[in-house]
Amino acid sequence: MAETAIAPVPEPRQRTSRKPLLSVDGLVKSYPLNRRGLFRQKVTGEIRAVNDISFSLDEGETLSIVGESGCGKTTAARSILHLVPPSSGTIRLGDTDVCATFSRDRRPEVLALRRQMQYVFQDPYLSLNPRWSVRQILSEPLRVHGLVPPAQWDGAVEALLERVGLPAEHADRYPHEFSGGQRQRIGIARALAVEPRLLICDEPVSSLDVSVRAQILNLLAELQEELKLSYLYISHDLSSVRFLSNRIAVMYLGNLVEIGEVDEIFARPGHHYTAALISAIPVPDPARQKPRDAISGEIPSVVKRPSGCVFHTRCPAALPICSRQVPPLAAPDGAHAFACHNPR
Amino acid sequence: MQVFVFLTRRLIFAIILMLGVSAAIFFLINAIGNPIELMMAETPGMTGEVIERMKSYYGLDQPPLTRYLLWLGRLLHLDFGTSIVYNQPVGSLILTWGWQTLKIQVPAILIALAIAILFGVTAARRQHSRSDFAVMGTALLGQSLPAFFLGILLIFVFSYTLDWLPSYGAYSTRNPLGGSPTLDALWHMVLPVAMLTFFNTATLTLLMRSNMVDVLKSDFIAAMRASGIPERRVIYVHALRAAFIPMLTYLGLLIGLMLGTAPVTESVFTWPGLGSLYVAAIHQLDYPVIMGASAVIAFMLICTTLLTDVIYVLIDPRISLE
Repeated sequence: MAETAIAPVPEPRQRTSRKPLLSVDGLVKSYPLNRRGLFRQKVTGEIRAVNDISFSLDEGETLSIVGESGCGKTTAARSILHLVPPSSGTIRLGDTDVCATFSRDRRPEVLALRRQMQYVFQDPYLSLNPRWSVRQILSEPLRVHGLVPPAQWDGAVEALLERVGLPAEHADRYPHEFSGGQRQRIGIARALAVEPRLLICDEPVSSLDVSVRAQILNLLAELQEELKLSYLYISHDLSSVRFLSNRIAVMYLGNLVEIGEVDEIFARPGHHYTAALISAIPVPDPARQKPRDAISGEIPSVVKRPSGCVFHTRCPAALPICSRQVPPLAAPDGAHAFACHNPR
Repeated sequence: MQVFVFLTRRLIFAIILMLGVSAAIFFLINAIGNPIELMMAETPGMTGEVIERMKSYYGLDQPPLTRYLLWLGRLLHLDFGTSIVYNQPVGSLILTWGWQTLKIQVPAILIALAIAILFGVTAARRQHSRSDFAVMGTALLGQSLPAFFLGILLIFVFSYTLDWLPSYGAYSTRNPLGGSPTLDALWHMVLPVAMLTFFNTATLTLLMRSNMVDVLKSDFIAAMRASGIPERRVIYVHALRAAFIPMLTYLGLLIGLMLGTAPVTESVFTWPGLGSLYVAAIHQLDYPVIMGASAVIAFMLICTTLLTDVIYVLIDPRISLE
């Protein structure tokens, strides 16, 4: 993969510290596969949406999870937030055991945890209650967490709006009166209302016009700088990933297949799937067209996962061992880790 | 200002509709035939002079259009004319009998709404579970059973077999239950209210469940959960409010049609309500009563539709007033 073949991007962002904020270990989310009999359901198998993934995220860092639709990146993100309870694995946020806290279900503990991590949704049209004004949307988290006395809600709402670049006078408008980019700003403001440390952004720009994407990405970068936020950024758009992240985690069919520093991965992808993803990034210059490492075939069904390496059915460099043995996630040169028997 | 324009437009539309309905009622019933001539067939001794006197007494000697305008004019003064059978003002008949109808219909709608919210929400939260199937099955049964069948079944079980509840009427003619007329009236209400509740609940529950399933899947509910709002509040305040809006249309229809569906229930339980009055008036060709009751039923329906529209605009900012 030639470096010159990729659109120019800004200098890589420096990580501010090395203290892990979020650590995920062996996260699994599976759904039972039922066959309905005449009188009762029979569990005939399971769908592993997320299959044993582990990673950590440092304070002030951005880790991106990339992969095709259906690879489990959104499910992984929602499991971390317990919007869908994970099937197994441990998640730690700072010193808190996330799963244990949610299963104990003690209100102050849950609230304290919810306060630290917030979610930015993919579709700003669906994630804002259409019957609430922006003021109501932004003051609800303030009310729930009791961070600000009610008399100061209006001031807090206006400050939040200004922080995300919206005029404070728009507080009494309804979501349908805003454009897509503006709505996403409201979604970000809602997440910021409780002053979180970690923001999980689930494809926050993929439903927006290309012209608006850069604005939202810049806003996210500014906010990270100002508020010392950590981002778990989920996307299938590798150009935005490269702009925003320090590290990348690549997922395929629920598995984590490669993880490492962003420049390292773009320069020397270890896994053939990562290489194919990178080569599929469009180049905005027709004179510099590049050959694509196209991968053939369709994504296998999650119901019938391939044996061995999940990618072997589509891999251009598959060996006989690939269909028999699961390759471990390892870092041969210490720089970044990938799971492949026959690396590039 | 925008609200005012919207309301005026809707009001004008409702008035035009009411005029159309009143014309339809009048001319359709007029087309059945002249009531005096029908009476004459039953009383052969009537002479020509008596017939003429009766015709002019009831205003039947005028041409139809004049009679329509006269009727409409009196209607605007809430004068519905005089019943041929009861020889009483139709307005007071509708009030007395209509009260009996409201007595069973309003509780049935309120109870049904409470049950529908409870079961609809429970089923939606556990979609595809056994409790969901139980709720849906019962509701589908309620929707597909003919109304009179359940009424007769209730009478057979609770009146005929068990002898717990009265099978007909709104009160006992002698020896009220426990010597208390109020208790006696409530005792008579149980079966008709139960039957109406069952039918109202069926559709309301199915609607509640499907709306709730959609709302619970939406991202703004996930956003509320992520921001730490307690699950109970998410479901019973925020999601319920959003899921309830489509129910308003049906609820409005239910209230509007309350009097229109009364004949079936009231025939089964011989309940002295507007439905019974209406059916009897049709049999006896008591045309002032038929026309008055029809006008009241149409008026109720138009009013509740108007009210539903207004409530919609008030609670959903997206619905444009244009």
